[in-house]
Amino acid sequence: MEMLQYSLRKLLAGIPLILGVTLVSFLLMVYFGPDQTYTLLGKNPTPEQIAEVRAQLGYDQPFVTRYAGYLRELATLDFGSSHSTGEPVSALLGRTAPVSLALVAPGFVLGNVLAILLALLAAHHRSRWPDKAIMGLAVVGMSISFLIVIVAFQIVFSSASGLNMFPVRGWGASSLREYLHFVTVPTLAIVFVSLGYNTRFYRSVIVEEMTRDHVRTARAFGTPPARLMLRNVLANCLIPIVTRIVFSIPLIAISGSLIVESYFGIPGIGKATYDAIMVGDQPVLKAVVGLTAVLFVLAQLFVDILYRAVDPRVSLQ
Amino acid sequence: MNAPAASAVDANGAPAASRRETLWHKALWKLRRDRAGMAGLAVVMLYFLAAIGVWLGWWATGWAEVAGGKWEAPSAAHWFGTNLIGQDIFARSVYSISTAFEVGLVVAVLATLLGGVLGALAGFFAGRFTDELVVWLMGVLDSIPFYLLVAAIAFAMAGNPYAMHVAMISTFWITTARLVRGEVIKLRQLEFVEAAHAIGVPEYTIVFRHILPNTLHILLVQSTITFVAAIKSEVILSFLGLGVKDGMSWGLMIAESTIEVLAGFFGNFLAASLLMFGLVMAFNFLSDALQDALDPRQVS
Repeated sequence: MEMLQYSLRKLLAGIPLILGVTLVSFLLMVYFGPDQTYTLLGKNPTPEQIAEVRAQLGYDQPFVTRYAGYLRELATLDFGSSHSTGEPVSALLGRTAPVSLALVAPGFVLGNVLAILLALLAAHHRSRWPDKAIMGLAVVGMSISFLIVIVAFQIVFSSASGLNMFPVRGWGASSLREYLHFVTVPTLAIVFVSLGYNTRFYRSVIVEEMTRDHVRTARAFGTPPARLMLRNVLANCLIPIVTRIVFSIPLIAISGSLIVESYFGIPGIGKATYDAIMVGDQPVLKAVVGLTAVLFVLAQLFVDILYRAVDPRVSLQ
Repeated sequence: MNAPAASAVDANGAPAASRRETLWHKALWKLRRDRAGMAGLAVVMLYFLAAIGVWLGWWATGWAEVAGGKWEAPSAAHWFGTNLIGQDIFARSVYSISTAFEVGLVVAVLATLLGGVLGALAGFFAGRFTDELVVWLMGVLDSIPFYLLVAAIAFAMAGNPYAMHVAMISTFWITTARLVRGEVIKLRQLEFVEAAHAIGVPEYTIVFRHILPNTLHILLVQSTITFVAAIKSEVILSFLGLGVKDGMSWGLMIAESTIEVLAGFFGNFLAASLLMFGLVMAFNFLSDALQDALDPRQVS
């Protein structure tokens, strides 16, 4: 019961944030966005046609009505049709989102799992050479731009100058073999890029936990190192770790896939967004921006509630 | 600087108790001993000189001229060869250093200022309306994925070349503001603030004259981190066609190189990525060293 109250209170607290993110995307994409009238009209329109299109786009409506209209679009997932292809935006999202998910998921999971393992290893050997080597490599990894990684991996794995084992561009997931064929190089790039940042973050969290008294006590009682690191240290670090993972999901899913997909020509949500940016396709952009922002807020709320589930120390007040 | 009174002998055996031993003296001493950090600083300075030279027109002036044939191999005249239309790749990559510094400096300075001021105000008025507003704004801007915000701002500003700067500043101030806010919440309970209140110093004077200077160490570290983030984002945005349009950038060079590398010409790609890697790495080492020097509480 208390838990339910807590969850409801959290949800209520999320309302201003949801209004905020929708307001910002509304202002940028719709209210102050470029005038769409002439992109929808043919050559030499009559004043009546102009007025008709403007009314159709809602430009003659007051601010509040238009904002409410945008909120309704978000709630019903009905954003109209893409200006460039004519495909309904909801259909476009439904077609592209699974591709992005399939593309990003393996790299995301591997990037975090490997980072946690490396961080545990570094923290366990704190200030000795394995730690210094891992952390030095992490800084090097952080210093290499995503772009450089993608191009370099493409040279190494996909071009005639390198191994030439994987395709340069494209996507297919009809069989596991085909999926692996296309997903490997992007996955390696995503893992490589996230590994440095993740490892550094997880190590600092783990090292901080290791300085606590309970860890010293456990060590004094002769807990074996592996058990100590997993049960006494890692389990107590779960809150910052879970936060980071959940918070990076929307970033990886949209920002990460924007670069990867536009580069590898993969028909996911990032590519659709990129194309929409390039041609100024407002219905697609306002849907993507609004929906991801709302999803992000919901993810934050979910994390807050999840904290309570994984850590009884979190106060319900 | 109202640094807490320094103890006579530092735990690390730093030069003991001179009369003016402040946080800054100790930090400087610690920074000087940090070899990786000093090497990073030297490299950053080298790049900065290169950028100044470009601004003053000392070198890389011919970055847009056609100086040779198509895809020439590296030679004494063209260190990294030439690109598709025969422009010197080395000149272009050096010119891009100035672009990177331009974007990095503008974004780092403005974002740090904005983050410092808003963070300090929010922290000082914690629990009141100002704070709620700033925290709400941070939550809102944080919730919109960065590249989408850039795209949205670029869309709203209809191709204005500063859309990229605006977008970066409006997201990068948030981390700084969060850290400053947390620090100010601690600072405002200290005696010197209470004393200032007691003798009737106006609230805004307290925030900007007495509290904000005490968060300078956070601002310094954050500005280097923001600088790196700005450079990296600039390259990716330029690559995507959302950043630098009339000028040269490593991102544009990498965009150019994507076709070339498959044909076996690596000049553009190598020049842009090596120069960028060097600068970002040096900055990362520098900002790590600054953080170690200025934040004694951090466990490393």
